[in-house]
Amino acid sequence: MSKKSRSKLWFLVHSWLALPIWFFVLIVCVTGTLAVVSQEIVWLANPQMRASPPSDDAPLLSYDQILAAMKKAEPHTLVQAISRPDESHFALDVDVSYPDGRSLTVYVNPYSGVIQGVAPQFNFKAFTRALHGWWLVPFTNGYSWGWYLVSFLGLPLLVSLITGLVVYKKFWKGFLRPTLRIRHGARIFWGDFHRLSGIWSIWFIAVISITGTWFLIQALLFDNQVSISSAPIIPSMAREAVPLSPDGTPPAQIDIDRAIEIALQKIPGLEASFISLPGNAYSHMDVGGRGWYPLMFQTATINPYNGEVAATRLISDRSALEFVTESMRPLHTGDFGGLWIKLIWFFFGLVLSMMVLSGLLIWTKRTALATANALKRSKKKEHSASAQPSRETSEASL
Amino acid sequence: MSKSTTAPQPSRLSVLWHKWRFHLNILLLLIPLGFMPKYFSEAALFRGDTGLGEREIGEIQVGPWSLRLAELRDEGPRADGPAGYLKSFNAALCDACIEPVKATYLRIGKPRSLRAAGVIFFGTPYRMGASVPVPEKTKTDAELWITMEGWDGSMHQASIPLSQASPATIAWLNKHGGKP
Repeated sequence: MSKKSRSKLWFLVHSWLALPIWFFVLIVCVTGTLAVVSQEIVWLANPQMRASPPSDDAPLLSYDQILAAMKKAEPHTLVQAISRPDESHFALDVDVSYPDGRSLTVYVNPYSGVIQGVAPQFNFKAFTRALHGWWLVPFTNGYSWGWYLVSFLGLPLLVSLITGLVVYKKFWKGFLRPTLRIRHGARIFWGDFHRLSGIWSIWFIAVISITGTWFLIQALLFDNQVSISSAPIIPSMAREAVPLSPDGTPPAQIDIDRAIEIALQKIPGLEASFISLPGNAYSHMDVGGRGWYPLMFQTATINPYNGEVAATRLISDRSALEFVTESMRPLHTGDFGGLWIKLIWFFFGLVLSMMVLSGLLIWTKRTALATANALKRSKKKEHSASAQPSRETSEASL
Repeated sequence: MSKSTTAPQPSRLSVLWHKWRFHLNILLLLIPLGFMPKYFSEAALFRGDTGLGEREIGEIQVGPWSLRLAELRDEGPRADGPAGYLKSFNAALCDACIEPVKATYLRIGKPRSLRAAGVIFFGTPYRMGASVPVPEKTKTDAELWITMEGWDGSMHQASIPLSQASPATIAWLNKHGGKP
């Protein structure tokens, strides 16, 4: 194959990757972009989710003080888990169970322990993530086919990055001489835009496409019962390990703050950002938080009656493979380092969405041109050739 | 594009493809629209906004205690990989048993001892869930056994016919059952 026809082939592959499902790809990009900042959008819309300190130097309450304040306000509400979001302007998310059988999340002020409100029935964060992640197709047996549908897009995205860089000859020069010609018509503008935003988001497209492809692999592994996990399965407590009480009342459990102290002894430097309380009399409580490597959580599983540590899961416990695979999700979502990383992910998410759109605009403009030329040619031949449906016309018929 | 020059005689299928391929977008966008009501009803179900489960079985007396039992979904057991088929139930304890009851278990068929009482409920006394394995060879006249264990070491049991606990499971067994 000649060099020219080979580059033409690369170009064709690049042009055809997002087509004909471009609008689907665009919506997946847009919903993903929204999902990155979904928590912040809810924060903006819902004042109950904000953690306003009563005064500038107000200290944060300990988890036990939070529980005590909640118990005082709502004696019958049972707390199942507490989590402290990464960004300090968010209230605590506390999973509670109400006597009427509802189980939901309430927002609790970390300075006062006041229950500021119940998470709204429409969970925007969960909805955008479900829409982006599995196209709302329910999980019934293993991964939903919507998950496969969306995660499969990682592959064409990766190929379009590679072919794009091959087609854009000496793309590194674009970094030195950025061009965005505004006054030369739409076709030139969108072409420049596509190339310029493309080279500046090489890293982002690589991250999103590789992690997206990992989601596909993850589903394939799971649905074929292949496990790469080195995490031990923690058995529930033995019958003998749970004390009986002759008077028939539940035995005392250790405080959360005590559990955190115990966890800290095993995991130095742990910043406990979530606590899940035992799910029944024979289950443990979990204390966890980020460690030195912000993409992963470390957890300690603790016997709530005697404070014994049943298991810990540290960053160093992960196998080399898990170190890579467990980093995939946070790299995809950008939720591992606070607001600024989210905003970077959001910005490049917008750029990627615009890349899909500009790619399509270029494609239609170029194809429209090609079609016009083809029509001119066919007019000349009109009398000789019989009317065979031209493919190029149908390509333009968007 | 130049691709067209390689196919001089487009087949019927490729003509159809070229005519309709961009409509794939519309089909793909209809998918989440179609699943949206299901998504929101599931979200409400898991929040407990629509009750204990899709189908309430009723209050069941277990010795001195009682609980309200419901099917999480009004349907047959769901496949769960190598675990086989699981049927999920939700329960809520009576007000007086919240403190004295240590654990609640579910099993199809009478448990031989407390150690084999079946699957344990997870959650809070207001709303807890358990997924019972349903072997495909389960007889349609089988019973669902509830075992409740007290903090004082006492144990109480009760059973209800599976046909009362989950008619959908019986229908499923009639369709799938009998296989080894």
